[in-house]
Amino acid sequence: MAEHETDDARPEPEAPAPGGRVLAAVAGAVPVVLGAAAAWLSLRLDIGTLTDPGPGLWPLIVSALLVLTGAGILASVRRVEGTEAFTRGAIGVAAAAVGLFVYASLFEVIGFEIPSVLLLTAWLRFLGRESWLSTALLSVGVTAAAYALFILTLRVPLPHLIAL
Amino acid sequence: MDLSPVLTGFSVVFEPQNLLFCLLGVTIGMLIGVLPGLGPAATIAILLPITYNLEPVAAVIMLAGIFYGAQYGGTITSVLLKLPGEASTVVTAIDGHQLAKRGEAGSALGVAAIASFIGGTASIILLSLVAPALAGVALAFGPAEYTVLALIGIFLVGTLGSGSLIKSAAAAGAGLLLATVGLDPLLGTPRFTFGTDQLADGIDFVIVAMGLFGVGEILYNLEHRDRPQAAVPAFGRAIPSRVQWLRSRLAILRGSVVGFVLGILPGGGATMSSLVAYAVEKRSAKDPSRFGKGAIEGVAGPEAANNAAATSSFIPLLTLGIPANATMAVLFGALMLQGITPGPALMTEHPDVFWGVVNSMYLGNLLLLALSIPLIGVFVRMLKIRPGILAPITIVITMLGVYSIRNNAFDMVLAVALGLVGYAMRKLGFEPGPFVLAFVLGSLLEGSFRRSMRIFGGDVTEFVQRPLSATLVGVLVLTVVIIPVLRVVRARQVVRAAEPAEP
Repeated sequence: MAEHETDDARPEPEAPAPGGRVLAAVAGAVPVVLGAAAAWLSLRLDIGTLTDPGPGLWPLIVSALLVLTGAGILASVRRVEGTEAFTRGAIGVAAAAVGLFVYASLFEVIGFEIPSVLLLTAWLRFLGRESWLSTALLSVGVTAAAYALFILTLRVPLPHLIAL
Repeated sequence: MDLSPVLTGFSVVFEPQNLLFCLLGVTIGMLIGVLPGLGPAATIAILLPITYNLEPVAAVIMLAGIFYGAQYGGTITSVLLKLPGEASTVVTAIDGHQLAKRGEAGSALGVAAIASFIGGTASIILLSLVAPALAGVALAFGPAEYTVLALIGIFLVGTLGSGSLIKSAAAAGAGLLLATVGLDPLLGTPRFTFGTDQLADGIDFVIVAMGLFGVGEILYNLEHRDRPQAAVPAFGRAIPSRVQWLRSRLAILRGSVVGFVLGILPGGGATMSSLVAYAVEKRSAKDPSRFGKGAIEGVAGPEAANNAAATSSFIPLLTLGIPANATMAVLFGALMLQGITPGPALMTEHPDVFWGVVNSMYLGNLLLLALSIPLIGVFVRMLKIRPGILAPITIVITMLGVYSIRNNAFDMVLAVALGLVGYAMRKLGFEPGPFVLAFVLGSLLEGSFRRSMRIFGGDVTEFVQRPLSATLVGVLVLTVVIIPVLRVVRARQVVRAAEPAEP
């Protein structure tokens, strides 16, 4: 049964490391801050009365729920688990998100082809560490396939440079 | 019961063009669902724009295909890679992955497909019988009842995963808050729009689902991109042997019943039922020690159960208009996009649409079985593609899909922002499920709450004075008490089920 043992020895996907006390506190602080900000904005709307609720009443109730649950999470920082420590990979996530924002802002200006090729190149080469050759082939190929699917087949009016 | 709308529904569903859409739906549902890390809710969210431009009947049929395909995609990854796409296939991974290590992945997946088909189909038949009666009761519901019902729905979803209840409540609160962005539903006052017209119509549900589930999951998986990729085990043949079939037969039947019954309960139906089915099989087995080491019943029972439960969780959606879990919430949004409002009125006012939805589920199930056995090999090959290649392709399809909903680049910005929110929620231990569900139910909850307050003249105690709403308040209180108990039981079952049966 030796082959089974080699099977077992291969790396299983490991569980992410749990976050510390600080992250647990952040998890509680975020709802409190969000709720407080929303409550302040709701108060500037008309609250009305229970008989005749104004536009601000419901958001105010929801804000209260957020503040209370956030305070509850803060109160049990020692017990509540479930956070995950940020790893170095988080830098890649941030970079990817910035790239996506840039993608969205270029999209309507210069059409979808160039931003798509650039986005795919960045993700494949720098996040995925593919070779330059497969990066080039894949980014052009996927963009062409997207063109065929969305513009030619589904007839979605994506902004595009190349007219066929 | 008048059977004619049921039969007309069938004739529509089996038109060749609609068969094709269902086939397409099952295929791409499996294709995206098999990508590690993308559960059924994320898969359906990413694929929503494809159905957007279709006519309603075809769109609903395609969605049913995507739904079953996505569910099965999660089963494939849990058996082959021990990476369940969602909580309800966690137990499948226990014995399924052991079978895969022995080179019997094919027959494990084959049995899973047959079990899913039987569980799902049995559940649809039962749904057809139960749903009309339930919808009849629900027709008497007024704003007060809907307020309580929506609260029950949101509360129960806190049990979706393993997250803490208080964090689920906070996530639900954030979802409710996001739902208030836009014009006030009754008075038209702009709320939280920060002066921009882009937010005046509120935020489209599809953007929220695609951002939080789609973009969020992709970003989350990106963080751990350096992890070694698990090797895909040898596959074997997809048709189960005679012995395996004989062993699974009764497990499938038991799992179907367990799944249907538990699936009607909103919240963790599919997850609960797969765990209970596993426990039932282990307990009733002649040799329980085989479990955890590759017992085929440990795949058959839970798979029949989770598919039966996934199907019967359509009942609260179709009869009450209350989605029971995150996947149902996404489907709720998808049906709304097609101008179909799930709820008690659907069956009485548009029986053709209702039976069309139900009958396309039969078709989705049937095609899943027909496709999965010959095509498992193809989908398994998908798993061998490096995530570094799959992630960029998925993100481009998602972004273009987001744009295509309203032809608006601002929606892409929103989706990325919500993706970051989803990523941060995962890191801080909040489940995106309650957030999305609360977002969907937000306007219903607010609208019916405010209408009830007007009817009641501001007296909150009226909620417990009207017999119907008082009964529902009773149910709410009961669930508040019972759910924590159920969670403890479930936690014990997970521990027991996961116990390695050491030789």
